[in-house]
Parts: sequence; C-alpha cells; structure tokens
Amino acid sequence: MTGRSAFAFATGCVLGGGFYTAAQALLSGQAQQIVPIAGAIAVSSLFPMLLVKSQARSNAKKVNLSLSQRLDVLKAHALVNIVDEQSRVVEVNDKLLDLTGYTRADLIGKPVTMLYDEAGKKLAAEIRNNLARGKTWQGETPLMRADGSIFYTHTTVMPLFDTKGHWVGSISARTDVTHVNKLMSERSTASTLHELNDDVWIVDAESQSFSYMNRAAMRRFGVSSEIYTQKTLTDFAADYGLAPIKIACDALVESDGAFAQLECDMDAKTFQVTIKHLHDYDEAGRLLIMLEDISRRVEQERLEANFISTVSHELRSPMTSIKGSMGLLLSNAAGNLPKSARGLIEIAHRNADRLVLIINDILDLDKISSGQMDFDIKRINISELVQESISASATLNQRFAMNIECVGTEIPHWIDTDPNRIMQILTNLLSNASKFSKSNGRITLSLEAKGQDLRVSVRDEGAGIPAKDQPKVFQRFADMANSERSVKGGTGLGLSICKAIVENLGGSIGFDSVEGVGTTFFFTLPKANAKAHQLEEMVQFREVG
Amino acid sequence: MIKLLHVEDDADIREIAKMALELSGDIEVVQCVSGEDALTVVQSFVPDVFLLDMMMPGMTGMQTLEKMREMPGLDQIPAIFMTARAQHAELEELRNLGAADVISKPFDPMSLGDQIKSVMAKTT
Repeated sequence: MTGRSAFAFATGCVLGGGFYTAAQALLSGQAQQIVPIAGAIAVSSLFPMLLVKSQARSNAKKVNLSLSQRLDVLKAHALVNIVDEQSRVVEVNDKLLDLTGYTRADLIGKPVTMLYDEAGKKLAAEIRNNLARGKTWQGETPLMRADGSIFYTHTTVMPLFDTKGHWVGSISARTDVTHVNKLMSERSTASTLHELNDDVWIVDAESQSFSYMNRAAMRRFGVSSEIYTQKTLTDFAADYGLAPIKIACDALVESDGAFAQLECDMDAKTFQVTIKHLHDYDEAGRLLIMLEDISRRVEQERLEANFISTVSHELRSPMTSIKGSMGLLLSNAAGNLPKSARGLIEIAHRNADRLVLIINDILDLDKISSGQMDFDIKRINISELVQESISASATLNQRFAMNIECVGTEIPHWIDTDPNRIMQILTNLLSNASKFSKSNGRITLSLEAKGQDLRVSVRDEGAGIPAKDQPKVFQRFADMANSERSVKGGTGLGLSICKAIVENLGGSIGFDSVEGVGTTFFFTLPKANAKAHQLEEMVQFREVG
Repeated sequence: MIKLLHVEDDADIREIAKMALELSGDIEVVQCVSGEDALTVVQSFVPDVFLLDMMMPGMTGMQTLEKMREMPGLDQIPAIFMTARAQHAELEELRNLGAADVISKPFDPMSLGDQIKSVMAKTT
C-alpha cells in the first residue's frame, strides 16, 4: 500500500471510527489491518510531520517511506498500549514491556491502573473523563515498573470508537521523559546553587584548582570564571587569609575523609565552612566548599552569654550595699535595735543571702550551659573536706537545730578532684538535708570506698520526697514543693548544678527516698583522675630530674 | 594602726566599708572614688595596704595597682581586691597577678576588718 492510499484510508478511519480495530492491528502486526493504524497515529499527532503539513506528505512520497517503516519508528520510539472501555489492557508493545519489566501475560486483561502509582491513579480518572467526552488527552504521567520504581512519560491518549460511534476504549502512546526531567531538575539545581547567598566553591581535590564558584563567591572575591579557574586554594588562602580552610582541605584529602567543618574569619565576619569530599567525578574527587556567614549568630550568642554574666555581676554591687547595711545594723553599728526591728532586719538579711545564692547559681548554670565551668583538680583527703563542709554549714545547722554525724571520715580518703566544687556539692546537700528535716533531726554524712570509686552520702530523717516529685528532683526550678522552697530558702537550682558538677568530674549522683522515713542523696566519684595523675607524674619527674 | 587606702567607685559601698573597718578600731581608712584619684592621693598618703575594687569606670583596680607599683615606695605594699566577678577561675587569676587576697562581693562587713588584719599578719 502506498503512502497516499494509507493516508486516504486513515482519514476514512477517522471519519468512520475504526480506530480500535486499527490499533489492535498495529500491535498484533496484522498487515492487512495496518492502514487504520496510520489513521490512529495521525489523529493522535504522533507523526504530525507526516500528516499535518502537505509539504511533509509530499516529501514522504518522494522518499517512498513504507507504512511498516513508519510504524517501526513509532514502535521503536514510543510505548504503546490499548485498553478497552473498562480500562483493561488489551494489548501492549514490546518497548513498554521492556521498560516496565512486565510480560505481556502480566498485563493483558488487567486494569491499566496497575501501571500507575497513587498519583497516576488519580490522573487516570481525569484521563478517562476526557476520553468519555471524546477528547484526546496529553500530558505527563508517571508509570510504575514491575519492581515498583517510577519513570515519567509524556503521553497521548486517544479514545477509540466502534463503527456505531460507541466509545470502546483508548490507545496510549508514551515517550519516556525521565532523563529530560532529570536534566531539567539538574539545571534547576545548578541555577539555585548559583543564586545561593552562601558561597559555594568546588575545587579539584588533588590540584586544588577552582572549577566552580557561585555568584556570591565571585562577588565576594571580585573574580570571574576566567580568573578563578586560573587560581588554586593556595592562592586564595594567601590572598584572603583563608589558611585554615586550606589546612582543613589538606587534612581531609590526606585522611581520605568525607566531611569537615570549621569556623573562619574573613573581612571582620565569621563564616562556618563546610567541606565535603566528593568522589563522583574521578579518583581524586572534588572538594565542595560552602561558606555560610554566621557573624550575626556569633554576635547574638556572645551578647546572650555576656548578658547573663553582666546582669548577675551588676546585681552584686547593690546587693553588697543592702547586705552590708543590714549586717551593720544587726551588729548594732548604728546603735541597739528594738526587738521587732531586729526581727524584720533579720528576715531581710536572710532573703538578701538567698538572692545572692540565686545569683551565684545562675552564674554557675550559665557556665555549665556554655561549657565554661572550670575545674581545678587536686589530690585531696576528702575526709577533711567533709569536716570542713560541716563547719561551713554551722550557721544553717544552728538555725535548723540539726545533729550531724560522720561515718567513715576517721580514716583519710584520697581522691583526685576539685575541692571547691566538692565543697559546693556537700554544702548544698547538707543545706537541703537541714531544711527538709525535722527540728533536732539527725543528718548522717558517710564516706565509703567502693573499688575504684568513692561514695559520699548525706542521709536525713525528714519527710522524704513524694514519689510523684522524684523524677523532677534534678530538674532546674522543679516545681515540686514550691511553697517549702520559699519558706526554707532554696533556689531550685542547687541539685541540677550538683548533678552537672559530679558528671563533669566523671561521677554520678542519685538519691533514695521513702516518704515519712527520710532521704539519702549520694554521689560517687572516681578516686583517680587521669588529668591529676599526669600533673603528678610531671611533678615527680621534675623532682627526680 | 593600719593605714588603708580604699578605692571604690560606688558611694554606698564606700560608706559601708568605712563604717565596718572603723568599727574594728585599729584601721585608718582613706577613700578614693577612682584609680585616677588614688594615684593623686598616694603622693601624700602612703598606706600599709590597698583595698581596690576591681571593676571601676576608667582605670580598673588592676591597672591602678600597676601604676602605683611604678611609684617610689609603693611597690611592696600588699593589695587586696574586691570583685563581683567571684568565679573560681577569676579569683585565682587575680591571686596569680599579685593580689594578697580577693574578697568577693557581697562581703560580710563584720569580718572585713579581720580579713584585712589577717593579710597584714601574713605579709609582715
């Protein structure tokens, strides 16, 4: 059959509505029915260059292209399937089977929606509505392979009618556009990268020559691609004071590491520099270097850190005057006080003390939060320290009329630790035990060696901690017994600070409490501290030398 | 009688310290409002001990001490600092810089005189 007669027949098919048969013939390869196929192709615009323009038709005639050749092109190029009016697959071409991984038996008679994911199924309903109204549908559809993976197709779906004009199904021709989408996506990514506010550099891992800079980086350094491609990281490190970046890149390549991060100052700004070693290009790979300006964040953190410290310190000056004045009044420096006035001044003085404790605790918490709490590790006899802590708490013990007993302090217990911080913990635990004990109650302070550790415990015979409050004991400003705290003078911070100190010293802290019986707070510390040992060895070495 | 030069910018704290020190009975107190003021006063009054506030507008307590150390007859006088920055490391730093003692603010006015005498006993 010639091209002219094929075209004439196809046109007839369009008018007569014989597409369904035609399309079946295309896929089943029945030569005598091939002519209507061309009609289907024509209308669905798969070969507009052949059929739409008369010039093109004329050219086709000149080259005498056979219809089977044309169909071969279509079959080779597109994924084609036909469905009936129930959307069940009637036929598919080999290319569709190749790309989806299904066999013909897998698909024939099955709903075409088995080729769709959830998004595709929604789209299928829209396509079906179009077809039912006799309209051809064109657009992008995702198709799901037998293994569940997705690929994208540009699709034309045309309705098929029988000789009486009844809608009997549809034919779809699809082109795999996954790679086109990927290219578009990559181009979009590259474009986004170029427009980022952060600097992006790419350098060769071996030669460290620049292969890419985004717009922000080019603007910062005032260079074009012609210039930066002539430069290496060494040039930039020298020209812009970026030696730390160069050193970090060298170390990353040397260790064959994947990732490094550092902070670097440039032009009075602070940058967070992230370096990634990419091996996707060649063996040596590339270094992707990103510079984020974190100057504002750094400044904000500095201001926040200074704020707490400054406010706390600024509070101390007026507190000095308030506490000092009341202290002098109570010592009769301004003459004898009437009894009622003395009572009131004592209340004010006690609460001024409490305020100072809160300020100290806030400063400690600030130091803990910023990791700046300092420790001065020494080898000490903790038995002596325990006795000192009892003396230091004498005023409190008198106020609450406590009897303190010591167990295990009659022998020395040597430990490498920070004596000032241990004193802080002991006075805090003793203070708590005093405040929450009955008047004339007994407090037992015990020392016990446990293998490589030393356990210190403070036991009171007070009311105990209610079970519901126990999980909150080490929380800051835990809301348990708030009224008790205000009466007894706690800050609500002490135990959380104790916990942080003990943990920083390599130990652990805990408690046992039974309501109505009492509470025992305990902490264990390693007797030996590696840092103290190093210092000790250095001293011994010097003495021997 | 111990002659003490107290340098403190806060007038209330000056007054409390003066009253507390004079209560002890054997301390003569001369007070200055700034480091610059102290540098003038020491030209006519040579104390036995300096009591210096650390944080002051203008010269800090440490800068004041450094300047006074350069003046004839003042290089061996013990110096006690008062500071509101009472963290352990900061106190140690002051001691390492030559402070005979460091008193944390708020201080106890009733023991201030004894602290001064204790330092004098150690240094003489």
